[in-house]
Amino acid sequence: MIDKRLFDLPGMKKYAAILGILVFIQAIAIIAQARALSIAIVNLWNLQSINTIVGPTIVFTVAFLARHLLTVTENRFLFPFVEKTSGDMREDLMAKIFRLGPAEIDKRGTGNIVTMALEGIDQVQTYLMLVIIKILDMSITPWLILLYVLFLRWEQAIFLFAIFPIIILFMIILGLAAQSKADRQYEGYQRLSNHFVDTLRGLPTLKQLGLSKRYADNVYEVSESYRKETMSTLKIALTSTFALDFFTTLSIAVVAVFLGFDLMDGKVMLLPALTILVLAPEYFLPIRNFANDYHATLNGKNAMSAVLDVLHEPEMTEREVLPDLKWNNDSTLKLNQVSLTYPDTKEPTLKDISIDIKGMKKIGIIGASGSGKSTLINLIGGFLSPDSHDSITINGQTVPHLNQANWQKNFLYIPQNPYLFHATLADNISFYVADATEAAITNAADKAGLTDWIKTLPDGLNTMIGEGARTVSGGQAQRIALARAFLDPNRKVLLFDEPTAHLDIETEASLKKDILPVFNDHLVFFATHRLHWIGEMDYVLVMDHGRLVEQGTPDELAKRNGDYVKLRAEMEAADL
Amino acid sequence: MKNLRKTFANDTWVMPYLRKYKGLLILVLFLGFMTFFSGGALMFNSGYLISEAARQPSSIIYIYVPVVLARAFGIARPVFRYVERLTSHNWVLRIVSDFRKKLYQTVEQKASAIQRSHQTGDILSILADDIEHIENLYLRTVFPMVIGWLLYIFVVIGVGSLNWVVGILMLLLLGIITIVMPLASVATNGVREFKQHQIQHEFYTNLTDEVLGLGDWLISGRYNDFIDLQKKPIKEIAALRKQDHYFQWWRSFFVQFIILLTTLVLLIWSANQFTATKSLANWVAAFALAIFPAVSPFVNMSQGASEWPVYRRSIERVNALDSGTGKTVEQTSLTEPFKELAINDLTFKYSDGERNVVKHISMDIHPGEKVALLGPSGTGKSTFLKLIVGDLTPTDGQVLVNDKNILNLQDVRSSLFGILDQQPYLFDTTVMNNVRLGNVNATDQQVKDAIAAVGLKDLIESLPDKYDTQVQEAGKRFSGGERQRLSLARILLQDAPIIILDEPTVSLDPITEKKLLDKVFELLHDKTIIWVTHHLAGIAHVDQVRFMENGEFDMQGTPQELYKSQARFRQLYDLDRGRV
Repeated sequence: MIDKRLFDLPGMKKYAAILGILVFIQAIAIIAQARALSIAIVNLWNLQSINTIVGPTIVFTVAFLARHLLTVTENRFLFPFVEKTSGDMREDLMAKIFRLGPAEIDKRGTGNIVTMALEGIDQVQTYLMLVIIKILDMSITPWLILLYVLFLRWEQAIFLFAIFPIIILFMIILGLAAQSKADRQYEGYQRLSNHFVDTLRGLPTLKQLGLSKRYADNVYEVSESYRKETMSTLKIALTSTFALDFFTTLSIAVVAVFLGFDLMDGKVMLLPALTILVLAPEYFLPIRNFANDYHATLNGKNAMSAVLDVLHEPEMTEREVLPDLKWNNDSTLKLNQVSLTYPDTKEPTLKDISIDIKGMKKIGIIGASGSGKSTLINLIGGFLSPDSHDSITINGQTVPHLNQANWQKNFLYIPQNPYLFHATLADNISFYVADATEAAITNAADKAGLTDWIKTLPDGLNTMIGEGARTVSGGQAQRIALARAFLDPNRKVLLFDEPTAHLDIETEASLKKDILPVFNDHLVFFATHRLHWIGEMDYVLVMDHGRLVEQGTPDELAKRNGDYVKLRAEMEAADL
Repeated sequence: MKNLRKTFANDTWVMPYLRKYKGLLILVLFLGFMTFFSGGALMFNSGYLISEAARQPSSIIYIYVPVVLARAFGIARPVFRYVERLTSHNWVLRIVSDFRKKLYQTVEQKASAIQRSHQTGDILSILADDIEHIENLYLRTVFPMVIGWLLYIFVVIGVGSLNWVVGILMLLLLGIITIVMPLASVATNGVREFKQHQIQHEFYTNLTDEVLGLGDWLISGRYNDFIDLQKKPIKEIAALRKQDHYFQWWRSFFVQFIILLTTLVLLIWSANQFTATKSLANWVAAFALAIFPAVSPFVNMSQGASEWPVYRRSIERVNALDSGTGKTVEQTSLTEPFKELAINDLTFKYSDGERNVVKHISMDIHPGEKVALLGPSGTGKSTFLKLIVGDLTPTDGQVLVNDKNILNLQDVRSSLFGILDQQPYLFDTTVMNNVRLGNVNATDQQVKDAIAAVGLKDLIESLPDKYDTQVQEAGKRFSGGERQRLSLARILLQDAPIIILDEPTVSLDPITEKKLLDKVFELLHDKTIIWVTHHLAGIAHVDQVRFMENGEFDMQGTPQELYKSQARFRQLYDLDRGRV
């Protein structure tokens, strides 16, 4: 329920101390309110005139208002702190996302990250607002009331004091029983509740198989069995709240009955007895509030833990090792026995890769799926870090990984589906060059073969594209990425990761005509399945199960009759 | 109020179920009422008990009844509450089962068998969330509100029967917190909720955009732009949340203020009403103590009401689904085996589109023929397929199977067409169950034979659970190629005469692609095949190739003929083979 890291938040101790004082005053107001009300009632009970209750009623009114005004004050006092803490957390999270990079996002899922930054932080805010005040309330108010009751009549105070640990004990015992039963059923639950979305997503398939009508009953039956299982768990899960309810309510009844007997025997006067009876519910109120908000706080706690986990995620440091770099004909990039193991796997995904590259070259990377082509491209792009930190050198400078600010200024990355931002076409093309002129953008778009398409757009280069705006076909998305390369003459390294895999053959053929010119005067890494690109390469890397099994010029490799020849033969279809 | 009526005007999701499970609903409301009643009665009784006891009556008999009642109410309250919570959850879960079936049936009517992506899956998740919202509508808004009103009526009538002037005062004072303030909350919150939804939407879209394009942001080094982009919505959200919080705090304070006034009214009233005799004066404490527990359910009514705008959005969304169910067409069946698929002058335009997507296409396909369909994306290939299987109704022309219109054969469609698409869906169950979907009457042995035929026998039998292996969510236990093979096994069991291949290899690497295509054409050699493909790998398997451009066929013939006679085809083919 309470994350220990809660108290490490900056400024928390100071706020907690001041809030503690406010809660203390509030507890005194509660006692005053009960006392004044009791006095008024006892006066009436004694058949005294209505004038005698004016004083106590005024005290009651003031205490009552003070109590509830203090609630507002506590919240308003705490809110700026919570707002700042959660706001800072949100900004830290955004900054962290930027530093972690796409590989980490892939691992966690885009949806997860976005939900965390949006709803997750909101939940943290609610959690902080609730939990701090509730904890203070629970640790101050009941004890002050108890102290007052002790002063009025020690027998009732002892009873109230003794019942408290019993309540907590029962809540824990029943809570644990419910928890273990819930845990056992949780997996089954998850499956059942996912079943519905699963069925909806598979609807086209059910329709293809002619089963879609019949499945409606299945949906109902699964849902009903889910209901029955849920109910049997709920029966136990709710007992914990029942225990709290039962003991607190019954305690009040018991207090009333015992006070009744004591009054009959004349052991106590009505005023203290009534005051105790009025205070008894107030004594249990903080713990009941705490338990009622249990679920809200639990979500908030989990959200906060998730956010803090991301914020404490290790990130690649030493991003500035590489001095200023401008890739040219004399530049060198050396990979020496590079291996790469993903954090949650045992086997390395890349094993002992050694490459020696100088100047401008066109390097093809081929291999079956899962051979490590994309991982290699991601390593070169600096999205992934190699296992050892001395295996990569650029221009003789050893770097721990390629997530180097100065290296990133030198390349462009063009994946299978280049991402298009929700922005104008011009903004998308000039994403990497902030100060590009319109003429330069038009020129780059033309070189990338976009001119004809732009003419068909309502606002030309100023047309909005991307999510929620005009859809762009896969071929045109590639051309937009290509235009980025034409626009930025400073980025001399191009990383292609299967840019044409999803395109139909005609689109690919026409795109190829426009891609080839950009290869000149660039260092190109080109991972592909499509054989016709190999002819355009100076040098080929053949990957197999994470190893670099062959490298050389296409001609050399063709003569060698090794893995390259074998791979080509497997990929080629039978002749017509 | 007008909004409320508009929301429920054509409602088929909320009201009908309130009626259907009327009995349970009344039980829930009764139990909820009794919970708060017992809470109030306990304090009322206790107040009387000690007041009476303080008179030191001669015998215990005088306080015997209150003593028993104190214990009874003390036990009744938690028991009622426990049973109420169980019953209300049971009630809601019952409704959820109905909802799910209904949502499924609604979506089922509109689903198409030809589908290019699972993007719609996200929309479906939203709908699934909407159902959960309606669940909460009952638990968090409807039940507490109705129970609150019942209690309100009870208090007003109870006090009013003793003194009608005070009764009217109660009616007015408590009316403020049970009726006026919830309505005011809905109004204020409706506006704020709308604004918040917009800002959150903007933040959500921006953020998704940023996260999906993170690679580009990172390489571009534009850290400051990246952070700045979110500053505005973050600030706006913060401002809105602040307003929301302040509103809630002051509203709670105001509710408490009204409760204070109520208490004072009752106190002054009892001072006048009950101070005639000693035994009457015992009631003073009873009324004064009962007031706080009795009004406790009123405190949260405004909050429950203010959540209404969220629920309304969900209710309107699911209700919108129902509108426009298509007209039914008379269904018939085929008596003889498949002889001919005739496509006559087929033309189609989407109702919201400007131009024809499919233009006057005619072709005949006979048993055993294999046709490949090529063309860039957006030329109408998938629309064409939807027309063939009858998911869409042509604007002009028709599709005939053995001279019967396909639109009249929808009930027997699965005995005519087998479909293998880009991402065939595997359900989150066992391999055996998934493949058996092809023919639910197939024996275990037939399923195993089909799996063996597609070449997965060794793989499946090497797994610890063999054929009972769970394929996991969307079949992710298996690779893309393996998923395609499992679907192919399903199609083998289905044993339909016409097979539609809708780019089944688009996400596979060339080696896997080649193996899959060889397998498909080997196993389905006696079937009629219509194959939409985006490149020319495996084209030698078919006896007819058609290129589609802007909704029309422009190049057609056998692959061999086309290679000889058409320079364009030759160039593409050589490119695909890596010869250029």
